[in-house]
Amino acid sequence: MKKRLYLELENCIGCRSCLAACTQCGGHEERNRNYVYDVNPLVNRQTMPLMCLHCVNPACARSCPAQAIQIHETGAVLSALVEKCIGCQNCTIACPYGIPKFDTEQNLMYKCDLCIDRTKDGIPPMCASVCPSNTLQWLTDEEIEAKQKQFNLDNGKWVTSMPYLEGETNVKVNLPGILQGVTKLF
Amino acid sequence: MQANIATNKETGRSVNHAFASHFAKSMFLTVVGIAILMFIGTRMFTHIDLNLYGYMVGTIVFIGGFFYRFIAWGERPPTKIIIKKGLKLLLRKSTPKTAVNHLAIYDFIRNRGLYRWVQHILIGWGCVLACLVTFPLVFSWMYFTMEDNGYYTIVLFGMNVMHVKAEGIIAWFSYNALNIAAIMVTAGVCMALYRRLSNMQARAEQKFMYDFLPLYLLLFISITGLLLTFQNIVLHGWMQPQMSLIHQFSVIVTLIYLPFGKLAHIPFRPMSVFARNYREHYGEQQMKECKVCGDHFVSVEQSNDVIQVLGVNDMEFNMQDGFNLAELCLPCRRKYRISRFSGFATHQVKVKEANQNAKG
Ligand code: HEM
Ligand code: SF4
Ligand code: SF4
Ligand code: SF4
Repeated sequence: MKKRLYLELENCIGCRSCLAACTQCGGHEERNRNYVYDVNPLVNRQTMPLMCLHCVNPACARSCPAQAIQIHETGAVLSALVEKCIGCQNCTIACPYGIPKFDTEQNLMYKCDLCIDRTKDGIPPMCASVCPSNTLQWLTDEEIEAKQKQFNLDNGKWVTSMPYLEGETNVKVNLPGILQGVTKLF
Repeated sequence: MQANIATNKETGRSVNHAFASHFAKSMFLTVVGIAILMFIGTRMFTHIDLNLYGYMVGTIVFIGGFFYRFIAWGERPPTKIIIKKGLKLLLRKSTPKTAVNHLAIYDFIRNRGLYRWVQHILIGWGCVLACLVTFPLVFSWMYFTMEDNGYYTIVLFGMNVMHVKAEGIIAWFSYNALNIAAIMVTAGVCMALYRRLSNMQARAEQKFMYDFLPLYLLLFISITGLLLTFQNIVLHGWMQPQMSLIHQFSVIVTLIYLPFGKLAHIPFRPMSVFARNYREHYGEQQMKECKVCGDHFVSVEQSNDVIQVLGVNDMEFNMQDGFNLAELCLPCRRKYRISRFSGFATHQVKVKEANQNAKG
């Protein structure tokens, strides 16, 4: 059964377990490739994670002159191939969400590869496996559809899926509506 | 989606177009070039070593594959820009230094780890050494003549360049160059294979055809090459003609595979010098200011080039807030997305992003 990474942004408690887990993925050389942000840092404690959304038509790969960013058959947009990346940083400028990281010393781009060593065999990615607040989940399309119905606030605040994203994505994002006063029911 | 399919068709056609014109032209010119060099090198075809015939055919097929790949690749919009601007900037003062750094001593690989660096020095320089000896021999650009007085003459392009003692150190290095190369490559490949066995991190994404095949091919070439020497010295040439054929076969297969797999990075890698020049040159000219925080984060030229390349791919990230996403520095761009998710203008809060790197 094909599953996807699914994000329920407002559940995030800012523990940064996903960052720590990401350092341990195969090939990550102990550096994380994801982000956690304070939404309104001077006022409240709401946080949200920001991950590569694994675009169906990825700007990062389209802009890479070396074809170093490969798209896996599962749809995952992989990190730069270490022998191909020529260090131009086009991908970092192209990605609409600012995801790829660049190491100047190593002249190499690195980004979320959806833990391809795990997800290619249907094992959930590291970040989803450790997330204690159900912000990051690993679900089938049917499960995601049910979630979307459950949380469809239908008030113009639904800004986490198309057409509000910059393009179709393999990772699905959702807002359970906590910020709008909707009590969250799992 | 419709538009996407249409543009794919478009590029498909232009690749075919390249095949019909550029490809045939490059192929023709290269083969003619090699033939002329052979003619000069062999003093009008009087010194051809026919044992090496297989390599000749292999090389020609390799050149075909190489041009096919390179031209299809050069047609991609971002590649075209880097090649065009990279060539224009080739005369920068820093080019020789960057080139040595990127293409010969690989400082950046050392920053990835000493082990990976040693491994690549052994494989890369072993292969370069082997090619420097083999190709001139194959195309008869270089050969040795033995004189009665115990001296060898090294003949390069029909000129006697060096006169060396048969027992001397230069002569020893000349006959053993290929053995030294083979030992270097074998050691390097063993390091690469060991790294895959011992280190889970190195194992993340590997396919046999892409990841292991080139290593096995290099190992096969090196070992059959070393066996040739072994048969020569210890077994007095027993089975040497057969082994020579196997060795030739392994080199030819590798040459044919080269433009398509992992080893394709060898001919493409000089682009990293282009990329560095491109970033340095346009960075000195004018830097782009982030539309939110004003930080200088990329050259104006590159920002415009990326926006244009994305445009060719039907991607326009123009926001209603009056900027293109490629005009925001990376932290602001990430915060801007959080603001789109949450409805609160996170990117306008003047707090630097923090605590984003878990120390594993
Ligand atoms: C033009 C100069 C070259 C450059 C700049 C270059 C660059 C690189 C880089 C950056 C890597 C990735 C290394 C890592 O991150 O661990 C690599 C891998 C590799 N290179 Fe090169 N290379 C060059 C020439 C060669 C040559 C001549 C060979 C000989 C066949 C070669 C064979 C390999 C192999 C087999 C790997 C894979 C190693 C592995 O899988 O662990 N390279 N190269
Ligand atoms: S979110 Fe960015 S890095 Fe991830 S696939 Fe899309 S363009 Fe590439
Ligand atoms: S930095 Fe590397 S991966 Fe990114 S676009 Fe340039 S060559 Fe491709
Ligand atoms: S999917 Fe894997 S690589 Fe991507 S952010 Fe999560 S842990 Fe990191």
